[in-house]
Amino acid sequence: MQVTLEHVTHTYQPGSPFQATAIQDVNMSIREGEFLALIGHTGSGKSTLAQHINGLLKPTSGRVLLDGQDIHQKGFDKREVRKAVGLVFQYPEHQLFEETVAKDVGFGPKNLGLSEGEIKERVIEALQKVGLAEPEIMEKSPFELSGGQMRRVAMAGVLAMRPRILVLDEPAAGLDPQSREDMLQLISGLHKQGTTVVMISHSMDDVARFATRAVVMEHGAIAMEGTPEEIFRHAERLEGMGLDVPSVCKLGMKLRAMGLPCPEDVFREEQALPALLALWKEGKRHGA
Amino acid sequence: MALENITLGQYYPADSVVHRMDPRVKILLLIAVIVAIFLAGNLLAFVPIIAFLVIVTKLSKVPVKMMVKGLKPLRLILILTFVLNLFFLQGETVLLDLGFAQIKKEALILAVHYSLRLVLLVLFSSILTLTTPPITLTDGLERLLSPLRVIHFPAHEMAMMMSIALRFIPTLMEEADKIMKAQTARGADFESGNLIARAKAMVPLLVPLFVSAFRRAGDLAMAMEARCYHGGEGRTRLRVLKCEKRDYIACAVVALLIAVVVLLGYIY
Amino acid sequence: MAEPIISVDHVSFSYDEGGPMAVRDVSLTVERGSFHAILGQNGSGKSTLAKLINGLYLPTEGHVTVCGMDTQDDEKTWEIRRRAGMVFQNPDNQLVATVVREDVAFGLENIGVPTEEMPARIDKALKDVGMLKFADRAPHLLSGGQKQRVAIAGVLAMAPEAIIFDESTAMLDPQGRREVMQAVKRLNQEQGITVLWITHFMEEAVECDFAHVMYQGQIVLDGTPREIFSDVERIRPYRLDAPPMARLAEQLRAQGMPLKDGILTVEEMAEEVARLCK
Repeated sequence: MQVTLEHVTHTYQPGSPFQATAIQDVNMSIREGEFLALIGHTGSGKSTLAQHINGLLKPTSGRVLLDGQDIHQKGFDKREVRKAVGLVFQYPEHQLFEETVAKDVGFGPKNLGLSEGEIKERVIEALQKVGLAEPEIMEKSPFELSGGQMRRVAMAGVLAMRPRILVLDEPAAGLDPQSREDMLQLISGLHKQGTTVVMISHSMDDVARFATRAVVMEHGAIAMEGTPEEIFRHAERLEGMGLDVPSVCKLGMKLRAMGLPCPEDVFREEQALPALLALWKEGKRHGA
Repeated sequence: MALENITLGQYYPADSVVHRMDPRVKILLLIAVIVAIFLAGNLLAFVPIIAFLVIVTKLSKVPVKMMVKGLKPLRLILILTFVLNLFFLQGETVLLDLGFAQIKKEALILAVHYSLRLVLLVLFSSILTLTTPPITLTDGLERLLSPLRVIHFPAHEMAMMMSIALRFIPTLMEEADKIMKAQTARGADFESGNLIARAKAMVPLLVPLFVSAFRRAGDLAMAMEARCYHGGEGRTRLRVLKCEKRDYIACAVVALLIAVVVLLGYIY
Repeated sequence: MAEPIISVDHVSFSYDEGGPMAVRDVSLTVERGSFHAILGQNGSGKSTLAKLINGLYLPTEGHVTVCGMDTQDDEKTWEIRRRAGMVFQNPDNQLVATVVREDVAFGLENIGVPTEEMPARIDKALKDVGMLKFADRAPHLLSGGQKQRVAIAGVLAMAPEAIIFDESTAMLDPQGRREVMQAVKRLNQEQGITVLWITHFMEEAVECDFAHVMYQGQIVLDGTPREIFSDVERIRPYRLDAPPMARLAEQLRAQGMPLKDGILTVEEMAEEVARLCK
């Protein structure tokens, strides 16, 4: 399953004095099975772009294709996109509303018109994925849970739609280190099981750790695109856009500036260890 | 993002003598003008009122288009007032006989009179809201009502509530937009179905919105307390309202207007 | 040791009478002009402690003293809150007015500052956080980092001696976080305002003078950031994340690389690696 954006432009409140173009002529595809990181400054158009992927926003011009079919053309059933692409907004726990966790997670499947039995099956499956399938939690009010748990329930609400593509807008925002790590592991696990993931993130360390491809947005257009290796090789350019780079990248830049031959493709923590040890051993041999 | 730029009320920002007037004076003068409109006993008495309206509109620099826009939501009521009065009021001189009904001269005059009264009421009120930012209006109301504190009327609390509401409406609109999209992404349908189905479909939107509003209210109350808010007592104000020459002149003009209107009523 | 501005003496607090203690037997002193951080995961009691300090909550046991005044003393409540201001987590939920300038005025109006004095104090406060040019804007059109800086200006205009930041960067993007952090550091260094910084971001705590780690309502570690974070093993049980460079340094040492102790930042790591490899 593949989503393609062709020359997508989106203008808010066109024709009014408040007219604002959020994204301009964006061309990209989301490839089956990838973990795509969407990077950019606040206001660079990432969230607007994400909302086009499942048809919540309609492009002012351009097309959004799901397996080659224009999702906004007449006769195309929008529910097909909603089923295929799950969208998890920022602070998704703010969308919880039902009396119990189970009912809330079941909201999506119920909207798909499934039978009671199928709904229950999907609720349990989704809650298992987020690690909250215990009966006593399922019957609790979602508002009695901790912040991290609420977020996972909200996420289960989207997973219960069994999306093939999962779009997440800063899924770890506002969480403490432990809940953050749990959330990232959860998403990485879903990706490993075959879900295509599109993640908006401000944390370059997370992008370095998990993404297979990254798209950098600036002023509503795609500024850079490629594997994390390719993106982080241009660390200076990222910093120029006001974006962070992984701390390991920063270390590499500093060392190279000091004249040490630290390789350029080191941007993950586990890569830094052998690279620095090699530097040290090299240095010792020369020194000796 | 789509709802970010919603303007509140219908304030039209401009630099005019009407904009600069003391909101308290503007509110009181509006009441006086409304009295004048009701005192106008015949069509002739409307002439000075309309003239005053034209002058004030000109002075306020508000485009006529904006003023007329304020009448739009009322057009049905206006037409109804006019038509009903025209056909159902009694009179002697028949102007037009349509067979099934007659239009009488007296009825026509009264129909015009009532409709005009309504139009003028709306237009004068619009001038107040178009030339006064909501927050200033609230401020003016608070000052005007504050003498009522003696009878325990919560003037300050009311004004504080109104200004907080003004501050949070855009925030909650944005939030509503986001929640609606999030539920739509989970297959919710807010658009189709009959009335009951649609009302039911609002639950997934309204519950989170209320939860969020309560959470915000709690946070805000704590933040206000942390900034030493403890009611209206002993509070000073950043903006002091002061009556100036222009306010006194306006008062004099309106007093003259009432006099003329009353006089014209007597003459005819 | 300098004069303490905030002193928390064996304080415990429970939300319901007889209920579990959210804060248990906590003691700490903050000297005038210093920059302290309180770290802990969600639910560790750090936010409750913040609210105990400026009298929004009153201790179930023990005493909190701010500038020599006990928070239990009803008559001092407003004076304590003026002298020890507070900035909260959600930038949207602490701004009251529809215009930035008027929001900053809110606190001044509450404490009865004469009208003539207000404009100058408002302008200065907004200038100190770099928000003067937004004075006539509506708060809901600002970015998160800008809103938080307006909130800081609102406190700053009241001429506080200390400001407590209750996870004030948790909802911001990296740029907003940098903006706020820079503004706060400047206030601390240039105006000598005491800062109590509550957070779960280690990177932010690295820059403070003194850090306290909270876990299950208690303070479990005190010390300089270097003392606390460079020992990755020691903070792990409290479910905090060590700074990436501290983690990396530990792994390198385990492989035999003789790095010095207490590496926290990229700069420190780069210098140390350069020293060993050249």
